[in-house]
Amino acid sequence: MVSRIVDLRSDTVTKPTEAMRAAMVSAEVDDDILGRDPSCFRLESEMAKILGKEDALFVPSGTMANLISVLVHCDVRGSEVILGDNSHIHIYENGGIATIGGVHPRTVKNNEDGTMDIDLIQAAIRDPKGELVYPTTRLICLENTHGNSGGRCLSVEYTDRVGQVATKHGLKLHIDGARIFNASVALGVPVYRLVQAADSVSVCLSKGLGAPVGSVIVGSNSFITKARRLRKTLGGGMRQVGILCAAARVALQENVGKLESDHKKAKLLADGLNEIQGLRVDTSSVETNIINVEIKEGSPTTSSKLCKDLENYGILLLAGSSSRLRIVLHHQISADDVQYALSCFELKLSLLNAACCSKLSRTHSIRSCEKIYYIYGDLNL
Amino acid sequence: MWGSSGMGDLLGSFPESVRVRTKHAEKSCEDAAQVARVTSDVVQGSSGKERMVARTVDLRSDTVTKPTEAMRIAMANAEVDDDVLGNDPTAFLLETEMAKKMGKEAALFVPSGTMGNLICVLVHCDVRGSEVILGDNCHIYIYENGGVSTIGGVHPRSVKNNEDGTMDIDSIEAAIRNPSGELLYPTTRLICLENSHANSGGRCLSVEYTDRVGELAKKHGLKLHIDGARIFNASVALGVPPDRLVQAADSVSVCLSKGIGAPVGSVIVGSKIFIAKARRLRKTLGGGMRQIGVLCAAALVALEENVGKLESDHRKTRLFADGLNEIKGLKVNAGSVETNIIFIDIEEGTRSRVEKICNYLEERGVYLLQENSSRLRVVLHHQVSASDVQYALSCFKMKPAFVTCCRQLLREYKMKRATSERI
Repeated sequence: MVSRIVDLRSDTVTKPTEAMRAAMVSAEVDDDILGRDPSCFRLESEMAKILGKEDALFVPSGTMANLISVLVHCDVRGSEVILGDNSHIHIYENGGIATIGGVHPRTVKNNEDGTMDIDLIQAAIRDPKGELVYPTTRLICLENTHGNSGGRCLSVEYTDRVGQVATKHGLKLHIDGARIFNASVALGVPVYRLVQAADSVSVCLSKGLGAPVGSVIVGSNSFITKARRLRKTLGGGMRQVGILCAAARVALQENVGKLESDHKKAKLLADGLNEIQGLRVDTSSVETNIINVEIKEGSPTTSSKLCKDLENYGILLLAGSSSRLRIVLHHQISADDVQYALSCFELKLSLLNAACCSKLSRTHSIRSCEKIYYIYGDLNL
Repeated sequence: MWGSSGMGDLLGSFPESVRVRTKHAEKSCEDAAQVARVTSDVVQGSSGKERMVARTVDLRSDTVTKPTEAMRIAMANAEVDDDVLGNDPTAFLLETEMAKKMGKEAALFVPSGTMGNLICVLVHCDVRGSEVILGDNCHIYIYENGGVSTIGGVHPRSVKNNEDGTMDIDSIEAAIRNPSGELLYPTTRLICLENSHANSGGRCLSVEYTDRVGELAKKHGLKLHIDGARIFNASVALGVPPDRLVQAADSVSVCLSKGIGAPVGSVIVGSKIFIAKARRLRKTLGGGMRQIGVLCAAALVALEENVGKLESDHRKTRLFADGLNEIKGLKVNAGSVETNIIFIDIEEGTRSRVEKICNYLEERGVYLLQENSSRLRVVLHHQVSASDVQYALSCFKMKPAFVTCCRQLLREYKMKRATSERI
């Protein structure tokens, strides 16, 4: 078994750095419920400023950030929210907005690039004339970057257009900006400009930014006041939370600047994977730090089998469907790790293809073996 | 501070008896002021004026406890991992230890006691149309935003809390819905107790009482949840190990951020199946955190260091309560002070009077919570020293006695004056 681990399952696996740990040790703290924790207050002020909104609120997770945002915008019973059919809120948050919040979701088809057609969004807005039988649409949600599309970015033009639709119909706009900084860096648009049209944004600190825990919601003063109360109700009101906030501030300082490099590594890896026989990557769709890898038809392996095999080399990934793998890069994956991962993929796929007894494949696989052995030492194959 | 000379001038016009009694009050105030002066730092402000920088004695709650050096070091060195994708190793250690301590199969770390209780009630009552029996003066019912209903859709059936934090067993039984009335009734699924019971002043529910409620629950096919935010306080005060104290319960929520002194968090304990469901609901509510070992490391230190200090907290509380009881104008039911909470009743209290007392104390660095127009609450914890207790007492002594005395004297004098004038 190799001792080297390259964890590509998610950017949530990032561990706190030395600087973060030092910040946690010396963080100035107080009871954030009875009063305000000073480190938390500083983080929230900073995040509000960076995102161009009036106020901010630290929460334990992105799920809670989205849940709170949707529930505060839709605080009247009988509300409906328009969101993508392949969005994180709809697919991966346990349906909480409905099961916990009593809000009805109206899904609109997500395009491959993470957007929803403006016409379709508009068509999904309930006509108030039908209110006897309809719920009342109150909110539109976007997701930037869009996780399930492979980390695709919604442009500022698109976001503004959706914002205009929302305003025209008296609706609010929430952006699930778990990876909004990735989008901002990839698009070259300052983050506050990117979310200008939104009434609220949820931003993850524990993903690519590398903080150990937490997300932040940003919005107007009155929105955040309601959000704070709902946070308490859901049980997200923590006491000396400044410890986590201190680490998050270091993360903001240190790691936003590293996102560009994560994107470069992702592109390199994507290009390399696309050249491997049996795999396909739509490299033009790799805009940030996520790669969706397709296993070609007729391949001797499936995504879960490949995942298991690569785990033996220390490469950790998540299987999507039976023919799809997901890779997420982050600042704790080095360029060397990327090369190693690529080599392991090459080797494994070669070995599998060599089962077809092709001379060419055997030579290729031997070469790959040699390369890996030379660089990384003895692997238990 | 009271300008005794100025007061003396004013009192010069009062009859002898009044002057004597006032001087007596002044003397005790002077003593108190001396104690206060000795224990405060007086510094020169930049404007050249003397500024009294009193120490801070935060008696608002045991949630104000700050992480110790040992906790901070533990946090810095904690081994962590993604607790949602897998298991954070330090969280795993903490959860394993808590399960063991409470005598249950498994445990789950959550950001707060509110989430601990919310998850427990919602998991036990996961079928729509459920009802939970709980005390009309319990934390879940009063201080958790009604979340079990507004978030969880569970109907609360409150039963009168006695002064000692219990509910009469008969009343609990009477509140259980008869299944034959199900066309009209919600279905009772759960009984909740709270130990120690905060709004009663930190009173402890005995193990015998808890067992009896447990038997009642079983008899009717109900679950029993204990809001054990301060269960360790109860355990120490009663001299009963925590696992025995909660033996009858299907689930318990235990606060680590209160008297135990950790910066953040609570733990739910229960069966493996229960905790598996709880973990999922925790994610749904948004309590699934990533490298959570940072907080769990501090909590592990807290458990090691501070459970042993609770007894001392209780002793200091009793001393404080006794001291307060001797102050004219204040009343403490000393017999009800079992753990680390004191309710102080202001005799002939008015809202403005109580507010004035709070402000006065705050100016001297003593913080507490106002319960209502005639009641204050004080909560002790390991970061309040014996000397802090003495200082706080001295601050209390200064205001009420003197004010009560003066006002009373003034009233009497006015009455006498009025009577003599009429004559």
